[in-house]
Amino acid sequence: MTCDLALKAIPLYFYGELTPSEEERVEQHMHECETCSRELERQRALGPALDRRRIEPSAGLLEECRADLMAAIQGGAGAEAPSANPWRLFLAALEHSFRGWARFRQPLGAVALLALGFFAARITPIAPFVAPAPRVGPADQVFSTVRSVQPDNAGGVQIALDETHRRVISGRMDDQKIQRLLLTAAREDNPAVRVESVDLLKSQPASSEVRDALLNALAHDSNAGVRLKAVEGLKPLGSEPEVRKVLAQVLLSDDNAAVRMQVVDLLVEHRDDAIVGVLQNLMQKEDNSYVRLKSEKVLKEMNASIGTF
Amino acid sequence: MAEHTAGTAGARLSSQVDSLIRAAQRGDQDAFEQLVRVYDQSVLRQAMNLLRSPEEARDVYQEVFLKVFRNLHTFRFDCSFHTWLYRIVTNVCLDHLRKRIVRKEEPAVVETGEGRVDRTESFEEGSAHADPERKLWNRQLQERIEEGLQDLTPRERMVFEMRHYDGMRLRNIGEILGTTEDAAKNCLFRATQKMRSALGDFV
Repeated sequence: MTCDLALKAIPLYFYGELTPSEEERVEQHMHECETCSRELERQRALGPALDRRRIEPSAGLLEECRADLMAAIQGGAGAEAPSANPWRLFLAALEHSFRGWARFRQPLGAVALLALGFFAARITPIAPFVAPAPRVGPADQVFSTVRSVQPDNAGGVQIALDETHRRVISGRMDDQKIQRLLLTAAREDNPAVRVESVDLLKSQPASSEVRDALLNALAHDSNAGVRLKAVEGLKPLGSEPEVRKVLAQVLLSDDNAAVRMQVVDLLVEHRDDAIVGVLQNLMQKEDNSYVRLKSEKVLKEMNASIGTF
Repeated sequence: MAEHTAGTAGARLSSQVDSLIRAAQRGDQDAFEQLVRVYDQSVLRQAMNLLRSPEEARDVYQEVFLKVFRNLHTFRFDCSFHTWLYRIVTNVCLDHLRKRIVRKEEPAVVETGEGRVDRTESFEEGSAHADPERKLWNRQLQERIEEGLQDLTPRERMVFEMRHYDGMRLRNIGEILGTTEDAAKNCLFRATQKMRSALGDFV
């Protein structure tokens, strides 16, 4: 073996990537060549120097990543985002257009009816049914839904419509008004709005209203993403008796394993006698291996039996 | 015997993973979460060590597992799930490394399992009472290592990271990167050459 080949083989030799016969040839060369042998020593010294650079991510970071991922999936981020090629863009636009039509089905039907009435009665056209209301700022929008259209005897028409004003309000999280709006938003129908709201509210767990909203979301929200955000928000309050009571209930009743994983982690951070019974009950029915292992470990550490007798 | 036990345990894990994948492909979210938990710690560790930033590691984690979630239905068991997953991991990490080269930044303080650590201090040996000359030498060695790593191309860095720190075989690394074992060998050779030349007389 030449020195050139031996030098090239040194890293592979060090990492055990050579065949036994290649290894033998390298060892033979090292035995005979002092220069290459020194190079091999340098390679061996490099290993430990690099090993000491290794860092381990914190357990907290891993848990945050897991919670964020599950919240993103629950919040709809798991849905495939189409790549932006022209055909896909065209299809997306088409789909969007039809979705738009479906949304306006009712108002458009009303427009058609209105148009018929207009041509039949040959009356002066009235203002369009979707119109920005006066006194509304440039950032505001008005959405109207026609509820009824009633022709009258004089050839006119009466239209009843609901108007929804969209306003944009901005402010800081410590602003009471913003917090109140977020507390309302945490109960909205749209789960994506609830995920976002609870996520923002969890930065203010000191407020008792926020704490109650987080507890309510954790115990009753139908969307697991919202419940995951709520557990995250309750982390600083894991030692409070009221919070622990809800955590215990959720641990025994929530059907989502990711939520139970987060809840068990938070509950066992502070150990009291009450959690023994909760974990023993849990062990009777829990089928998620992570939650089972965690509960088992804590029960063992607290010298409690795994099951109830 | 130990090898046999490890082999049996490996086969058991592999069959458990296969069942989790099949269940997740049928839409079982619980199975998907368990599948994530089998691999996510090593994915996060790799991202953290490559990028040295908890924020970026977090982004990589999210990007990787959302891609897994979206594309799991395309996994056909024609390679190991580990290889399939690490193809995604390497692509996401390579993107971040390439952006990093454009920005040319590497944070000095990183959040680790032991709290916030200064990269240069993490290399200090023993107690605070360590020999000052030794401390200085260690600090300079650490700086040289960082410089050496900066000189690697993103691909060399990935190969080096996966072989040195994650202990993956070069054949598997080649498969993950969509190249041959020989190409991965060349990459590792270039990476170690660059590292040794950056370290000069230090090792």
